[in-house]
Amino acid sequence: MYSGPVIDCDVHQARNTDAELIDYLSRGWREYVADRGPAGNVPLTVQDGFPNPHGFMRADTYPKDGGEPGSDYATMREQLLDAADVRRAILTFGDDSHVAGHHNPYFANELARATNDWSIERWLGKDPRLLSSILVGAQLPELAAAEIRRHAANSRMVQVMLVDNPFNYGFGHPVFHPIYAAAEEAGKPVAIHGGAGGWANPASTGGGSVNTYFETHVLWPQAIQTHLVSFIAHGVFEKYPRLRLVLIEGGSAWIPSLLWRFDTEYKGLRREVPWVKRLPSEYFAEHVWVTTQPLEIAPKREDAVALLHSMNLEDRLVYSSDYPHWDADEIDYLSTRLPSEWQRRIFFDNACRLYGWKPEDLTKQPAAATTAS
Amino acid sequence: MTVDVGAISEFEDRQFRIVSAGGHEIGVLRWSERFFAVHNRCPHQKGPVCLGVLSGRLGSSSPGSMELDESRPVVACPWHGWEFELESGRAVWDPGYAIKTVPVKLEAGRVLLEVGKRRAGD
Repeated sequence: MYSGPVIDCDVHQARNTDAELIDYLSRGWREYVADRGPAGNVPLTVQDGFPNPHGFMRADTYPKDGGEPGSDYATMREQLLDAADVRRAILTFGDDSHVAGHHNPYFANELARATNDWSIERWLGKDPRLLSSILVGAQLPELAAAEIRRHAANSRMVQVMLVDNPFNYGFGHPVFHPIYAAAEEAGKPVAIHGGAGGWANPASTGGGSVNTYFETHVLWPQAIQTHLVSFIAHGVFEKYPRLRLVLIEGGSAWIPSLLWRFDTEYKGLRREVPWVKRLPSEYFAEHVWVTTQPLEIAPKREDAVALLHSMNLEDRLVYSSDYPHWDADEIDYLSTRLPSEWQRRIFFDNACRLYGWKPEDLTKQPAAATTAS
Repeated sequence: MTVDVGAISEFEDRQFRIVSAGGHEIGVLRWSERFFAVHNRCPHQKGPVCLGVLSGRLGSSSPGSMELDESRPVVACPWHGWEFELESGRAVWDPGYAIKTVPVKLEAGRVLLEVGKRRAGD
């Protein structure tokens, strides 16, 4: 089993009450959402996803003293941070991550701002290993860019996170480019987290809508594929040559076949997108990283290994647990699915390259209270 | 082997003429005052590349811009649309992938192919 250092690139922290977040809204927005009599406050999250028959959380992650999974630092520390040699864990929010699914773009922008401040104050101060994503209201890309710039100097706000898609175009469309300009300027990767299908945004599945969580979960990679193709076809990496992209929770076994097809189509259709200067697979190899969870399981391990190796994914995959969600992948289990010579890279080294960290700076340290930077 | 494929005046601008020379099917193109010749065989699936559409080379200096370079003729193979520059024979997406070029000489009003030779610099 792998026992070396670990960087976990997808950990979902949660809040227990609306009041926790309302505290971080501006005075005006607090007035807008709060205390509306018997109806309670205006909902802070979009809640029209597909129900999971198991619930979305691992049953053993509910804190002993009550509260939501992912809401209690002590439980997270015991079950995740101290359960292995975790050097860094990147927080990616819970239902609040669907902020771009809100119909009201101004409210979404304010919620994103408040949620980021909540993450800094309520989480980053608890443990130096914890780092946060920057949530943005993608409905208003210029304001999203301003939110990214607000955190540019904070080295513990490590990436910009997109989940829901407010427009009917892939994330490579120029309407989103102010977000990428700000991310590149700040030197922070952009992360696209799967799972937006079924929320208040365009369907993430081709061919038609789906009807069960089972179907939507199988098809999560479709939305990620759309965004990856969109990024490259719109020349995002030509326009922002220092930009890095992380694909979270969209799987990885499909990447070779998509890139093979993408390269072949490029040879015939380059004249439609002459700003794409290189084969799509070359942009991928230079700019894109992919999280491991949920690792597709081939009946024969060696088949999956050969497939991933065909695109050198052992150098692009970064470990993610997805804690505390129901389908989280354990380090010990992944150790049985990945060749031993890949494990240090996937559990640690690749994420160091992605986020620009020196491995020697990420020394093992006991969890201790510290102040957020 | 030098093969005379006709008078310069017989070649229409921006049109391939397919000739047989040295046992090969070769497309000869007049592009304004310049001539190019390539084997009529795409390296992809052996399609008749010289039956494809001709144009200048489309380029772009930034996403969304479309810039035409008329000095660099390109043919798109009719099978799958893979594009090759006539001057070098190279695919526009990979300089290591190419159709075979044939050197062309213009002498005394005639178009001469140097079949069996590669163009200098190829």
